[in-house]
Amino acid sequence: MSGTKMPLEGIKVADFSWFGAGPICGEHLATYGATVVRVESETRMDGLRGVMPFAKEKTGYNVSGYYNNYNAGKLNLTLNMSTDQGQELARRLIAWADVFLTNFTPRVIERWGLTYDKLSATNPQIIAAYVPMQGYDGPHRDFLGFGAVLTPITGYSHLSGFPQRQPFGLGTNYPDYVINPGHTLVAILAALRYRRRTGKGQHIECAQIESSVCPLGTAIFDYTVNGRVQERAGNGLPYAAPHGAFKCKPRSEGSSAPADERWIAIACFSDAEWQTLVEAMGNPDWALDSKFGSPAGRKQHETELERQIASWTADKDADDLMEELQRRGVAAGVVQSAREMLADEHLKERGYYVYLDHPEAGRTAYDGPPLKLSKTPGKLRSPAPLLGEHTEYVCKEILGLSDEEVADLMVAGALQ
Amino acid sequence: MPSDNLPAALDDVRVLDLAGEIGQYCTKLLADLGADVIKIEPPEGDPVRDLPPFYHDEPDPEKSLYWLNLNTNKRSATLSIADAEGRKLFEKLVATADVVVESFEPGYLDGLGLGYEGLIKIKPEIILTSVTGFGQTGPHARFKAPDIVGVAMGGIMWLAGDPQDPPNVPPWRQGYICASIQAAAGTMMAIYHRDVHGEGQHVDVSMQEALSIAQETAMQYWDMLQQLRNRTGAGTILPISIPGIGPYECRDGWVYGFVGTPGGAPWSDLLQWMIDEGAAEDLTEEPYHDFCMNLNMRFLTGLMRDPASIGDKVKTMNHIEQVLRRFVAGKGKWEVYEGAQRKRLLFGIVSTPEDIAKNPQLQHRKWLTAVDHPELRDTLQYPGPPYRLSETPWAIRRRPPLLGEHNAEIYGELGVRVDELERLHAAGVI
Repeated sequence: MSGTKMPLEGIKVADFSWFGAGPICGEHLATYGATVVRVESETRMDGLRGVMPFAKEKTGYNVSGYYNNYNAGKLNLTLNMSTDQGQELARRLIAWADVFLTNFTPRVIERWGLTYDKLSATNPQIIAAYVPMQGYDGPHRDFLGFGAVLTPITGYSHLSGFPQRQPFGLGTNYPDYVINPGHTLVAILAALRYRRRTGKGQHIECAQIESSVCPLGTAIFDYTVNGRVQERAGNGLPYAAPHGAFKCKPRSEGSSAPADERWIAIACFSDAEWQTLVEAMGNPDWALDSKFGSPAGRKQHETELERQIASWTADKDADDLMEELQRRGVAAGVVQSAREMLADEHLKERGYYVYLDHPEAGRTAYDGPPLKLSKTPGKLRSPAPLLGEHTEYVCKEILGLSDEEVADLMVAGALQ
Repeated sequence: MPSDNLPAALDDVRVLDLAGEIGQYCTKLLADLGADVIKIEPPEGDPVRDLPPFYHDEPDPEKSLYWLNLNTNKRSATLSIADAEGRKLFEKLVATADVVVESFEPGYLDGLGLGYEGLIKIKPEIILTSVTGFGQTGPHARFKAPDIVGVAMGGIMWLAGDPQDPPNVPPWRQGYICASIQAAAGTMMAIYHRDVHGEGQHVDVSMQEALSIAQETAMQYWDMLQQLRNRTGAGTILPISIPGIGPYECRDGWVYGFVGTPGGAPWSDLLQWMIDEGAAEDLTEEPYHDFCMNLNMRFLTGLMRDPASIGDKVKTMNHIEQVLRRFVAGKGKWEVYEGAQRKRLLFGIVSTPEDIAKNPQLQHRKWLTAVDHPELRDTLQYPGPPYRLSETPWAIRRRPPLLGEHNAEIYGELGVRVDELERLHAAGVI
């Protein structure tokens, strides 16, 4: 696809981020054409480099699938920010960049001299995006947390799952992956556009606590307006029944292993959809009972409704059932595992997952561009970088240092 | 149009919003950054207006809190685009617009002559953003896809829930939210490209693809190791519970611990806290003390690589867990959260919506945003900004529109006379 236009071609990004929320935003910028220099340090590398899964039978800090999936298409520069020369080089990178991105804590950013007043003194047009947990002011400014703690703090855990269960959340650090990097990306794109119109850069703060609570806004609104504290309520919706997941035939005959489970999500919002589902089930007597004849009735008798549907789906193949129900016009979808996602024919036809050859991790799958632009499609142009892979390149080709200067910096320990 | 003097990043952009539920957070993001978003509603109103919860629990198309929150800063015009006269009006609007956002079944707008090929005949540099369950192409493109189907087919539902329960649907339509966020980003990239190169394009967003990256490491576990991540409920990826990790019940609610992981203070600091408050029981004695001092990431990583190595340590861990549970149970959730964080111990409060509304940090930052609703004779506290931009701030410049509130204004701009508007209204076109 060389020669294809990219919408963010020419945009230069100094990516001082780590873990999930920051690097994913940086990766999307790279996917759509920006030149992204990911800054790390041997003395303080991205924690995800040490988190599983690692490529089979490989060790070291370049083979984590967790890290690699969020850093494709970037250049990697190692810089020791505890040294004066490291900080000076960071300033040169800031002078080069259009966009600065970080999700380090306010304390670290202050120590490194990367606050907005300092950045804008170096580069008045810089767009500086800070993605702290709690924000740069306020009583909880210095509170710690990664996604695992942010998910409960921002309300997802309280509102997820069935009422009798503990508030354990969504099984992932959910806001880290789309909500926070996505909001940050939108803010950066807004600032880029404003800068193109006016020449002015600006300061962006996407405090993860604020970004993460927005998608639950209605629940908070229900409290501020009506004083109601919403509780977790399983898979139901007040105006749809059925609306849930139903167990299908296991992957291996007779198996009860969790990995072999197969589930299908089915939802009926209208009487017409329900009637279609009843026909698909072969008009069983129980379904013709008048108590299931209206949305309110189905909601009232939802427990029985779900039990009956589950006994119908139990011996069905989930994929076949989805195709059959969708063909008839009933909303249905297999609850896909990662194994099924990677084998999904629809995703394959659209070319969603991308396989890239990484010098240490080998050929592995990456999440592809999150959206399709018809004339300027995104592309993962290279696999995730090795730690320090482009240090010399960035120093010489981007920052214009001579061989001698690079050698001196290496000796001084600034490029670790 | 903005009621204040702050510049906005998108204040020269007009968006025609045909989107259903899946795309309304996208157009909200654009509107809250200053775009003139004209919500095109069918004459009987956007169906999302009928969804709960309602202001004071009074079902009314002007009182859905869900709808209100998704439609800040937008204007409303009613229009039946399936009607021939309605289509003409819509085409006139397209000529004034930069972006159209829609979420119909792929092909529907083409059938009306209003797909991408139709729109570029009216305005060559138009940007069309389509937000659907499975995107514009591929064998599932026309599948019905309410939120639950998206989160199911997108892989994140598989990971959520207790193993004894069905997989969990995340709360408040996260499939729609994620699709909308990606759609807003895609739209803005397309606007940027148009600004630079003068050409528009078709932005194709699939809810399934929008969600995939939120599977965390599940995709890579399967791809690299052929290991499947399953839902673990209150447990972790490990088959045993780790003291300090997971939900803990307090006197008045819950907190969530993540102690022993990098970045936070070590388990020994938690033990010290328990000692200081006389709640450590026998954890100061062996084998517990030594265990607490070494409950760190290295230990956990070792366990993950070789769960069997835990062996006889299970009893010790369970005892530590019980003592910690008793310690936390005697305290309030804010006390644990703020107390632990001041010691740099990784605990988070499990916030209810009330806790979020009362969160001292959000209050300090004035996150909740007051919006006057003269028709309700009330001022409502809306959810606030996802981000703060210093030069072009997020702002609620106008309350969400009443149904068809801006018909006269918008169609007036197109030169439609008042008597003509009345005729179109009587004919059910607007």
